[in-house]
Amino acid sequence: MVVKDLVKKYSEGPPAVQGISFDVRAGEFFGFLGPNGAGKSTTIKILTTLMPKSSGSVSVGGFDVDKEAHRIRKLIGVQSQETALDLDLTGQENLMLQGHLQRMGGQVLEKRVNELLGLVGLEDAAGKRVAFYSGGMKKRLDLATSLIHSPKILFLDEPTTGLDPQSRSAIWSYLKRLNKEDGITIFLTTQYLEEADKLCDRLSIVDHGQIVAQGTPEEMKREIAADAVSLTIADGLDLASDNALSEARQILRRIVGVTDVIYSGNGLTVYGKNGAFLVPEIVRALDNAQLKIATISVSTPTLDDVFLKHTGRSIRSEGHKEISVEQKKKRPFFFGRKQEVR
Amino acid sequence: MSLIQDSWHLFNRTNRKLLRKPFLIFFSLFQPIIFLLLFTQLFSRFASIPGFPADNYLLFAVPGIILQNSFTSAFQSGTAFVDDLKSGFLAKMLVTQANRYAILLGRISADSARVTVQSIIIICIGLAMGAHPATGIPGLLLMLVISALFGLGWGGMSIFIGLRTRSSESVFAIAGFLTLPLLFMSTALTPASFMPDWMQTVTKFNPISYGVDAIRVLMLSGFDWQTILEAFGVIGALIAVTMGAVVHQFRKVVG
Repeated sequence: MVVKDLVKKYSEGPPAVQGISFDVRAGEFFGFLGPNGAGKSTTIKILTTLMPKSSGSVSVGGFDVDKEAHRIRKLIGVQSQETALDLDLTGQENLMLQGHLQRMGGQVLEKRVNELLGLVGLEDAAGKRVAFYSGGMKKRLDLATSLIHSPKILFLDEPTTGLDPQSRSAIWSYLKRLNKEDGITIFLTTQYLEEADKLCDRLSIVDHGQIVAQGTPEEMKREIAADAVSLTIADGLDLASDNALSEARQILRRIVGVTDVIYSGNGLTVYGKNGAFLVPEIVRALDNAQLKIATISVSTPTLDDVFLKHTGRSIRSEGHKEISVEQKKKRPFFFGRKQEVR
Repeated sequence: MSLIQDSWHLFNRTNRKLLRKPFLIFFSLFQPIIFLLLFTQLFSRFASIPGFPADNYLLFAVPGIILQNSFTSAFQSGTAFVDDLKSGFLAKMLVTQANRYAILLGRISADSARVTVQSIIIICIGLAMGAHPATGIPGLLLMLVISALFGLGWGGMSIFIGLRTRSSESVFAIAGFLTLPLLFMSTALTPASFMPDWMQTVTKFNPISYGVDAIRVLMLSGFDWQTILEAFGVIGALIAVTMGAVVHQFRKVVG
């Protein structure tokens, strides 16, 4: 799969995809990580022949997306962001219908349906109408329908968004198996760092229709080569003003061992060789300047730090709030290490 | 060949969905049946007015009710299409190897089948109430063909609205807006000669009238081929226009 200078413009608004290039090798697990509205879904729609591109060149499985769309459709399985199932049909009927549309039939199809029901653990619910399935079951069935014709390449548009952690890890394990054991090439979009980190051999980090970083998760994190100390500063009961933050930033930059200090959310993130060592230094320096720390935590670099470094924002800046000073008041003041899940 | 096969699978899908919700057939039949029962009572004296074309109002009304049902039932096609569009199921079908026109053909053929079943039910109720057609079984079969084709034509209209607006509410709103005026300003419930002049003119341009008139001659008198062929001509033109619009809009949607 080779994508070169892909651009997609809509009649209104800025272009959704602004000239991206990447390639995915056969058998690879490739990820597209980015926040909502980064252009992930648009890219996947173009790659899966659902939407015409504005310019650039795209080939999937060696076939041109404009001229040989029907050949591509034979090769690919697609799971869209919406769980597209027929709620009035049973799980088994959904699989059968999908099989028929993929030109399968007879015993071959029946065998494949049973096999897939087994793979996603839905044998017992196969005869139930999908309307009565839970969100996790629907996602699993949706995954199975996209696999019915044993595709060589699987496209997954945010396959675990909105799922509980248990269902998510179940999906992860199926995907790993499909990739490692069956050799299916997987292209996945996600806004979850852990997902990209855990599953992908290589990935692109996208923002505003552009690729901001590309490589293996390890490479990208190594590039940062530092621990991150995140902190917020209090001003009485409220979070500190911008002035106080920029003053703090000046002070922190002078500490030996600090490589960078950037604004993140409503606080600062300090990068340095050894985060645990830096904490007392940071506390001392800010204390001397009469700045009070509200929260502080240390983490080893994550893909979010990679995103932060390239865009100045956190992927999860919305919805992910720091513990505010007000909430803090009810608990004894503390600071310490918060090791993020890797 | 693949078009027929793919259409067949999608035809089955739609029918299976419908059988899962039999109340949908019931509710869409509810109105025509109520009309049949109430109007035959309400307008029963019509038959004694000089110039009324039938011996009793029931014989006159059954053809009108059959057409009214094809007309209202057709609007379900549009909303079903919107559902598939919104749920992503349409996109899911489009990334398979299936022929794209099978998505249209499967839906349309299933809807015509539904209209036919509903027409059969209405005819049976009519028979039970004493409405025996003058042309016997062949006449009944021809009635079914006319009602199915008429449903196809209006179904095209509702699918077009659905594809264009992408909202079931719009399909319902337009259906609700059109149904009663078009029904009353046709020959479905009243002979044209009973209407004021301006309404008679409207009736002449209303495709419902042509379908009704054809079914009515089959019910009341015999195989009056001029009326029947006229109906086929008008319904054929209706199908050509609405299906042309659907195919055009469908191409836009599927890219």
